Amino acid sequence: MPLRRLAGRFLALAVLGLLLMAGCSGNDGKVIRVACVGPMTGEQAKQGKDMIEGAQLAVEEWNAKGGVLGKKIELLIGDDAQDPKQANAVANKMFTQGVVVIDGHYNSSCTIPASEVYNLRKMVCLTPASTNPQVTDRKYPTIFRVCGRDDQQGRAAAQWIAKHLPEARVAVLDDKTTYGQGLAGEFSKSYTELTGKQPVFTGVIVKDDQDHTPVLTNMKGFAPDIVYFGGLYPQGGLIVKQMRQLGMKTSFMSGDGTYDPEFIRIAGPENAEGSYLTFIPDQEKLPTAREVVEAYKKRFGEVGPYSLYSYEALNIALQGMVKAGSTDGEKVAQAIHGMTFNTVFGPMQFDAKGDVLVSPYVMWQVQGGKLVQLPTDS
Amino acid sequence: MTSGSAFLQQIVNGLTVGAVYALIALGYTMVYGIIELINFAHGEIYMLGAYFGTIAAGALLVAGVPAAAALPLALVAAAALTGLYGLSAERIAYRPLRKAGRLAPLITALGLSIFFQQLVLLTQGAKDKVFPFAITSAGIALGPVRVAYIQIVILAVAAALMVGLQTFIQRTSVGRAMRCTAQDPLMASLVGVPVNRIIALTFVLGSSLAAVAGVLVVVYYGKVNYLAGYTAGLKAFTAAVLGGIGNIPGAMLGGIFLGVVEGLAAGYIGGEYKDVVAFVILVLVLIVRPQGLLGVRVPDKV
Amino acid sequence: MSGAARQVLRSAWAKAAGWTAAFYVMTLPLLGAARALWIALGVAALQAVLISLDHLTPGARQRFRRVVAGGGVLAGRLGRMPGWLRTALPLVLLTAVAASGLGLGPYTLDVATNAGIYVLLALGLNVVVGQAGLLVLGFIAFSAVGAYTYGILGTQFHLSFWLALPLGGLLAACFGLLLGLPTLRLRGDYLAIVTLGFGEITRITLNNWNSLTHGPNGILGIPPPSLFGFTFSQPRHYFYLVLALVALAAFCSRRLERSRLGRAWVAMREDETAAESMGVPTLRLKLLAFMIAAFWGGVAGVVFASKQLFISPESFNFLESVMVLCMVVLGGMGSVPGVILGAVLLAFLPEVLRGVAEYRLIVFAVAMILLMQYRPQGLWPSSRRFEESAAETSP
Repeated sequence: MPLRRLAGRFLALAVLGLLLMAGCSGNDGKVIRVACVGPMTGEQAKQGKDMIEGAQLAVEEWNAKGGVLGKKIELLIGDDAQDPKQANAVANKMFTQGVVVIDGHYNSSCTIPASEVYNLRKMVCLTPASTNPQVTDRKYPTIFRVCGRDDQQGRAAAQWIAKHLPEARVAVLDDKTTYGQGLAGEFSKSYTELTGKQPVFTGVIVKDDQDHTPVLTNMKGFAPDIVYFGGLYPQGGLIVKQMRQLGMKTSFMSGDGTYDPEFIRIAGPENAEGSYLTFIPDQEKLPTAREVVEAYKKRFGEVGPYSLYSYEALNIALQGMVKAGSTDGEKVAQAIHGMTFNTVFGPMQFDAKGDVLVSPYVMWQVQGGKLVQLPTDS
Repeated sequence: MTSGSAFLQQIVNGLTVGAVYALIALGYTMVYGIIELINFAHGEIYMLGAYFGTIAAGALLVAGVPAAAALPLALVAAAALTGLYGLSAERIAYRPLRKAGRLAPLITALGLSIFFQQLVLLTQGAKDKVFPFAITSAGIALGPVRVAYIQIVILAVAAALMVGLQTFIQRTSVGRAMRCTAQDPLMASLVGVPVNRIIALTFVLGSSLAAVAGVLVVVYYGKVNYLAGYTAGLKAFTAAVLGGIGNIPGAMLGGIFLGVVEGLAAGYIGGEYKDVVAFVILVLVLIVRPQGLLGVRVPDKV
Repeated sequence: MSGAARQVLRSAWAKAAGWTAAFYVMTLPLLGAARALWIALGVAALQAVLISLDHLTPGARQRFRRVVAGGGVLAGRLGRMPGWLRTALPLVLLTAVAASGLGLGPYTLDVATNAGIYVLLALGLNVVVGQAGLLVLGFIAFSAVGAYTYGILGTQFHLSFWLALPLGGLLAACFGLLLGLPTLRLRGDYLAIVTLGFGEITRITLNNWNSLTHGPNGILGIPPPSLFGFTFSQPRHYFYLVLALVALAAFCSRRLERSRLGRAWVAMREDETAAESMGVPTLRLKLLAFMIAAFWGGVAGVVFASKQLFISPESFNFLESVMVLCMVVLGGMGSVPGVILGAVLLAFLPEVLRGVAEYRLIVFAVAMILLMQYRPQGLWPSSRRFEESAAETSP
């Protein structure tokens, strides 16, 4: 029996065993651990970085004031790589490391499976960016959402049309993703509720596709005045461009997924002119956010769309912790439910499901090749 | 819009997409015809071409070249660079495996395809790359049917390249050497055909054609991203199989046919079923008529 | 051109210079001038080393190739061990891993469980790719069938996990049969594409069929497994569940390999035409391989759904299929210990390489390409394949 070879094989196994041991370290109780979890690598690394920066700012401010419950706060970073499997694993990792508050995740498809773990472990989780209704519709007591919901956003768009374009023939398109289908569905529901009319056309495009002319040609036959699109900016831009190419003058309306300067570049500025997008109010112009925006810019530079939500997610959790006088997840969650928070977005309260009470969405429009916020009362 | 003119419009849309599929399909078919390898990485070669075209056009604009001149220059630059990629892939990854059976080159091709995707992701980012100048959406109206100028350009360039390629292969001595190598590489080398060089040339030609398709597409749609090669490659492969793999007129026919059928399916069944229709066609053709529309049945080599 | 000049141009050094220039031009637009220069310098240095090596010690590269292709700590000579050891070694290993499960934290256990699910998938794919020699590129679709079987039946009809486990596997096997019947007559590379297309069709259908699968939203609230009133909730529970299944799958694969069927697969893999003319019923054999592979894929899917408690079509994309294929290829096609090793390595690697996670896929890609060039039989090849490759490379 070649013993030497056998020894080599056991060596390899020992290395594997060491790999298994890696990544296990508990919390010694001297600090309070919070975590920012999101897509830190991959396609959405930029959004992940925005989240980290917001969280870092909040933690630094709290630590400068002496921490929470007499202890310093330590911020851990978790990466879900926008993969539901990974989200689940990283949620367990955070539990192992004694984290009590989660600021995350970014994608609804990650927040949903991860919140199963947070619910099981009674960890407080506040998502700064997952807008899918299902995140909170399961009514888990420790799960909160700081940003808006897709149905609030779809409703905001429908209300705008009902008020300003009541006679318009409306078409609806979506990209067959959780986000796009959900948003378009909520829009159609609210639109029918508010006006008593059905959309004249509903269609589906494929997210990874470049050529949407077949569906648009079909849509053209129904002569819509405005099309509402649930989806992201690359497809939004292509839809606008290809509508014009087909000689259609139909207006375009969409949601936060299309809110990106690239939307105008892809569509072509003259094609995109007049398009409507629902989004949160311009943070840099919010009087309540001025100080934080300044501090953020000095520390990190450009403020990302969800940076301040990430910042406030931790602020809310830590304020809840102070009120509860404990790091116990259930107690903190209970405290958060009963409080009103002064945030950069104005006063914020949570309903029984863990959603914010006031819908944050306003209407923006492409004017002169730029995105401009429309006055809320017009 | 009446249903009749909508149908005509769908045909026009489909023709444009089909012309692009056909250009990419040529690369698959040429490589398969000559060394019986499904070059999975070919879709990524097309994507690389689109990126190079965009980058070159951007650089030329910055250098002060007017847009009208920048476009053809970018096209040539992209075709040349992408040809180099095809050449290197053949020389470094595929040539050592020429005698290694079927599985190893296929897995290598898969590896190359992921490699190119990741290379672009890591160096250019995940965001869509937008072509530096917008092409007008204007066009001519044939009654209610609209044809954009750029669609006409795409169709014309594709047709010219295909006719050129066919002439090259049928009429020149290099083309004859290619046909000869495709039939029997061993015999070809015995009669003095530089087989290695001919195979390398095939890769270069196929890659350059894919690059042209890539540039046309990025000009037409205005954007490209690092995943664009995957679907386009699959569709183009379907087109090649549909027409009869290894057969150049077949690839053109297959591309056009697939583009039109896909367009009609998306228009009349629904956009979400577009890809399903394409794959079902692929499966059906392979099962019912694996030699394709124009191909000739060849028995397995023993 | 004079003869001497021509000779210089044809020399290895001229070729090296050509490649260096080519790589500079090729990487220039993607990387920018400075980084492209580094790449070109790297290529030049590599070429210089190789050429000097050829000059100084002729044949060194060939010898290196032979060593890589034939040697290493994990060279598969398991077949030469005495029988008692061949039985004892896996048992010792299994006990060791099971014991380690008691001392690990939930995160590590969770990652280990994910790795275990990949091992199940890889063992399944190994039957069809490694043993029968058919390249399947849409393997994850079978896993999707299993996962959705439990996802739908578990949430709507409260089907027990223990019933869903074989049922998901069997349904996946039926899918394998349905797909295999018309397509298995195709030659290898066509088959690869058809299975890829099948994988895409499955994913798109799951995404479109809102009434059954909830489309892109996926299925939520899948019940965890429970046994006699005991509900699986901790990562440790899943760890042992998956470990048991892996042990079972490995045992079955091992038995299969040595069976009549396994030997017939090898015959077919090595030369289909010859095998057929010797009376081996190749079509039936291929179908069986397909169904067995699909079965394990389906079982892995059921476990995945029960552990994740949430499934959506995006978990079953092409990249997952490629991942599983990589595991099989890296470990060694047709070798059960190799495939397990490959799956565990690739599943754990991202956890170890957290800092460079972005480069993970490009490293895999390069590894795949290099492996095919230098060691197509994988890290721990099957003893049969090892003998073959040794026979091929030795002069």
